[in-house]
Amino acid sequence: MKRQEVLLTIEKALGEILERPVDGLTEETALFDELRLDSSSVLGLLMTVEEATGISVDPEELDIDHLRTVRSFADYVEGALREGEGGERS
Amino acid sequence: MSSPTTDYPSSDYKTADYTTADRRITLERIESYLPERSLRIEELGERLGLRRAELGVFRKFYGLDTLRFDPELPLLDLLRPAARSALAALPEGGQVDFLAYAHTTQAVAPADVDIARAVGDDLGLADTEAFGLSHQACVSSLGAIEVLGELLRAEGAEGAYALMVTGEQAYSPIVQHIPNTAIMADASASCLITLDGDGDVVRSFAVRTLGEYAQWLELTPEQNTVFGEQYGSRIAEVIHQAVAEAGLTLDEVDLVIPHNVNKLAWRQTIKELGVAPEKVFLDNVPRFSHTFASDVFVNYTTLRDAGRLVDGAHYLLVSVGLGATFGAMVITHRAAGDA
Repeated sequence: MKRQEVLLTIEKALGEILERPVDGLTEETALFDELRLDSSSVLGLLMTVEEATGISVDPEELDIDHLRTVRSFADYVEGALREGEGGERS
Repeated sequence: MSSPTTDYPSSDYKTADYTTADRRITLERIESYLPERSLRIEELGERLGLRRAELGVFRKFYGLDTLRFDPELPLLDLLRPAARSALAALPEGGQVDFLAYAHTTQAVAPADVDIARAVGDDLGLADTEAFGLSHQACVSSLGAIEVLGELLRAEGAEGAYALMVTGEQAYSPIVQHIPNTAIMADASASCLITLDGDGDVVRSFAVRTLGEYAQWLELTPEQNTVFGEQYGSRIAEVIHQAVAEAGLTLDEVDLVIPHNVNKLAWRQTIKELGVAPEKVFLDNVPRFSHTFASDVFVNYTTLRDAGRLVDGAHYLLVSVGLGATFGAMVITHRAAGDA
């Protein structure tokens, strides 16, 4: 999955979780401060992206820094996809 | 013996001074009961209006899997098995002076039905003073132990007993689903109490009520956020307080026996406490989910029946109630109550 596809997946998932279209998303967009995601809705976002991409998030290893911005989250998803290609992510 | 005070709307730490109490509360027998009907949380999706992603969060991050839920079971049938088993430990000629029915949801029955009285009558305790108690929500069962202990000290006949009964049903979707927190399930538990008996010794009970969260499920999003962020540290505070009041250190406590709200909240608390994850017994979260005020006793009986409670070891019973009350009780296990 290319970067652009990852970003589109995140955008679509955000729209589902927030139940409104998210326009003007950039990689700098802050998930909590700008989009008003909270600790609960961000988990829904993770589940939705998991389902769409096939990655598997380990709740024990997840760090809040992965979820600060669209960029950090997209990096995390890409990393998980790479790990998935190289072997099962625990 | 000290008299604990109750402060509203927000209390500072309140602890009874158990170290100098002239007669110690002992838990002579703890029993629990779970209805047989078991469901996977996904089977409740439609009833609770939960989307796939929301159920996925409950399963993956909150650690839920199955739970017991039987709306067809009459409430008394849910309460009876645990209460009868606990009462069976009453010695020949023993007298139960008080019965407290501790519950989370204020309305568990129609207004003209007094469940505490009905349970007493059902158990053949017609002369026992019976009353309900729900002010501390899911901490009410621990609070009831303290109340019953105080009543025994103040008014109980020599060698008298008291019975704590708890348990209720997730009878409505509003009661069953605490958004972004828990899916409630059915169970009951009971505890036979006396003073200076042979059972587990209650060494301390620390409880703190934060009145700013009195609106239960009607909190503002901002309040919910702050409450969630501080959940772990608030639990850690009452734990430290209870342990200190018991004259112990956290290292000297064998195991935390917690409420089953969800694993995420407890991971946060474990981090806050700086203890090994194994120090908190979370095995029943995916099995039974959060059974209102019964969790700590359900978990206690699971551990006891598996032979994991050690004679003379110290344990922490910890629960949190909406409203919001944080409670922690230190007990010292004595194998006499295992029989």
